[in-house]
Amino acid sequence: MAFSGALTLSDLNDFISPSQACIKPVEVAKTSETQGSIKVDTSGSYYEVSQDGLETKLETATISLNDCLACSGCITSAESVLVTLQSQEEMYNILKQNKIAIETNDPSTHRTVVVSISPQTRASFAAKYNQTPIQVARKLTWFFKNLGVHSIFDTSFSRDLALLETGREFVDRYKKAIVKGVIKPPNMSADASATADSGDMDVDSAAKAPRKRIIRRGAANDEPAVAVETESAMPMLASACPGWICYAEKTHGYMLPYISETKSPQQIMGSMVKNHYGSQLGLKPDQIYHVCVMPCYDKKLEASRSDFYSDLYQTRDVDCVITSTEVEKMFGEQGMTDMAVFGEMDLDLGYNSVVKDATGHDQVLVGAAGNASGGFLEYVMQYAAKELFGVHGVDVDQGHGVQVKTVRNSDFREVTLELPTGEVLLKFAAAYGFRNIQNLVRKVKTGKSPYHFVEVMACPSGCINGGGQLKQDSSIPLKDWIVQVDHQYRNGVVARKPEENPVLAQLYQEWLGGVDTPKARQQLRTCYHAVEQNLVNPLAVKW
Amino acid sequence: MPRLEQLAELTGHEDRVWCAQWHPTKPILATCSGDKTVRIWQSTNPQDPTKWQCTNVLEGGHKRTIRSVAWSPDGRQLATGSFDATTGIWERDEDENGDFECVATLEGHENETKSIAWSKSGALLATCSRDKSVWIWEVEEDNDFECLSVLQEHTQDVKMVAWHPNEELLASASYDDTIKIWRDDDDDWYCADTLHGHDSTVWAIDFDPSGERLVSASADQTLKIWRRYHPGNPEGIITPRRGEPVWKCVATVAGQHDRCIYSVSWSKVHGVVASAGADNTIRLFEATPSTAGAASSDVIASTNEPGTLFDVHLLISVQSAHGTNDINSVAWYPNEEHGDWLASGGDDGSVRIWRFLKD
Repeated sequence: MAFSGALTLSDLNDFISPSQACIKPVEVAKTSETQGSIKVDTSGSYYEVSQDGLETKLETATISLNDCLACSGCITSAESVLVTLQSQEEMYNILKQNKIAIETNDPSTHRTVVVSISPQTRASFAAKYNQTPIQVARKLTWFFKNLGVHSIFDTSFSRDLALLETGREFVDRYKKAIVKGVIKPPNMSADASATADSGDMDVDSAAKAPRKRIIRRGAANDEPAVAVETESAMPMLASACPGWICYAEKTHGYMLPYISETKSPQQIMGSMVKNHYGSQLGLKPDQIYHVCVMPCYDKKLEASRSDFYSDLYQTRDVDCVITSTEVEKMFGEQGMTDMAVFGEMDLDLGYNSVVKDATGHDQVLVGAAGNASGGFLEYVMQYAAKELFGVHGVDVDQGHGVQVKTVRNSDFREVTLELPTGEVLLKFAAAYGFRNIQNLVRKVKTGKSPYHFVEVMACPSGCINGGGQLKQDSSIPLKDWIVQVDHQYRNGVVARKPEENPVLAQLYQEWLGGVDTPKARQQLRTCYHAVEQNLVNPLAVKW
Repeated sequence: MPRLEQLAELTGHEDRVWCAQWHPTKPILATCSGDKTVRIWQSTNPQDPTKWQCTNVLEGGHKRTIRSVAWSPDGRQLATGSFDATTGIWERDEDENGDFECVATLEGHENETKSIAWSKSGALLATCSRDKSVWIWEVEEDNDFECLSVLQEHTQDVKMVAWHPNEELLASASYDDTIKIWRDDDDDWYCADTLHGHDSTVWAIDFDPSGERLVSASADQTLKIWRRYHPGNPEGIITPRRGEPVWKCVATVAGQHDRCIYSVSWSKVHGVVASAGADNTIRLFEATPSTAGAASSDVIASTNEPGTLFDVHLLISVQSAHGTNDINSVAWYPNEEHGDWLASGGDDGSVRIWRFLKD
């Protein structure tokens, strides 16, 4: 199975291209049972001609995005659908509709438009247009407000919530996994090596078993013998990358219990905008049009999942995702190609990660520490070390309190928290790109994964190098470009722990009724669905 | 006159035979088939090469056709590539009854695995598939395998992968009519060269003993011989990528096979090239750098780039080698001991062992 075709990265070879042909059988409502013929007129329309000569115009069979998501075949067909469903065109339409609503004084068709911008997008523009991230944020605010957008937010804000929830979920899982015997507690005593922990292994019978009959796991496509329960599954795998989620659902169903149930920053922003922000303004979810600007095309697929759709209001938490590249296209369409001459506008208060500087005049960006894919590994390590083992002051970025090791290639890092005795307390990994995902999947499947938590990203180098990011000048090698964008991700952004976000406590209290309430689960957590392997239409198979 | 005489016909497979591979050191042959099994054949009497026995049938490891087999260089393991998209790793239990056991399954390809190959050191395994990708796996302890790279540059089905005889350099042949050369740059593998020239699917490739030449077999009914030119080569062939050798076609053998050529084997012992395909004929060629101006009358292929002449002589042609059936695989015995043996497998489900007599 493949990642979405939209994820294509130039000059990279770590990418599975989509199958060529859509295998989804198209269902067409037949008008009659009797045989007839098909006629094509000069305009290209199809007519069914029944035996008595009656002509019925035939509907064009269409494959919708939902068909594609439900199909285990390719998702290339999704691309064309995506372009029409979630594109800057669609956003223009809504803005135009708003103008008409105001001109005709018809508030019923007016929608409040909110745009949430990812920090990776900011970094991409900063690198390409030689700006600072705060300048980019201010200029994008100016740009979108001129188009008629009402509020512009920052997904680093919702990411603070995603990090807190992911950390909490991990600690819960770890404790349950210990209780259920899924993993063994580390030996905290000073003489760790001296204690032989035989656990539940029957040493005698294992020794007596004939050597030849040792069946090595992974030998014959075996699924895990015991059902894996989400609440105690180890390792816990980060959920923020939609390319990875899509791939796991379609080809590695048994991996799903391992995936964190915390929503991605994009979808938490969706919950906040449609529910909390909406209720504050007295708006129903369908009276808000929420656009996210992302480094990744697969975020469009994520936004259109049924889990994030409200049947009651017939609206999605995120109505439209546009990529950094598409925003750049919008610049051109508005006749403004030079970002240097854009106006600047103060960032909106609300869901923004911004503080006043010491002078009290200028705005300064803040955000969680950690790498440019969101810092999930860094935060969970720091939080779990403190919560589970009372180890304070862990800082993965600085290498404080943990061992950081690049394994095999630059897209696979291991981060280990050890006791002075060498006893491993926590072993985390970041696995980016298809090849490393393969190895992770393989390790988990064969029970050889030594990890407690893995930050999984489909793109090599992670989100900073997402498929929707701006393309560099062709004279700059990709590796150098990624370094530049990565630098911009942090440039002038003051590190702030998610716990220090002053609004979050208030949000939990006012909006969610506290931590770990049913409402908090509903708004901040999600679930995953394995896609059954469809019987492939033999006619569509290419040899 | 050189001859190719049939020593044995091995029957047992219940469907077409796709691939035959010699054990690296012993007179043992592994063959795989559309019947989803691998058969291991062993010579029963060293004095009488016409006596063979099927010692093992490897069953149950794959759900669909097994398309290719490959022995690890130490001969301890056998890899199988199947249309069920997986690669199986089999090991012989030497202590007990000599049964083969599937000790690992490599998953990852989206669909049919077409070919597999172990590197010379046995440290790397390459696989390729109809999903257009080439995967490189690192062999780890305890029958574990780590995916090092997923190479996506072919635009069509990849038919075959073959390692250089001495270096960690991989060649792949594809339905996109090209051959690609892959190398490692510490962090990942990259495509170091793309060989254009064939007008149709490249079905098979094999290196010569030195690894400086490569032969390719194509559905365009030709064989091509490619030579590697290093930077600063005395022939003055330009190497456009810094420090990177280029591969140039130095000979095209046309007008011999009159259908698709499916398999080619370049003897590591005596340098004779064997080829076979849909015209049911096994042909043996001798390829030599031509002595300028002294090309003899039986030269059937050469190119005229100055300094790159290469002559190919047809030695033997055996028609209807598998009756009226396609021949899918030919393989020379890999070492001196029986360097004159050639194995073939065809659509008739039979495996044949031949002896090459030079005069």
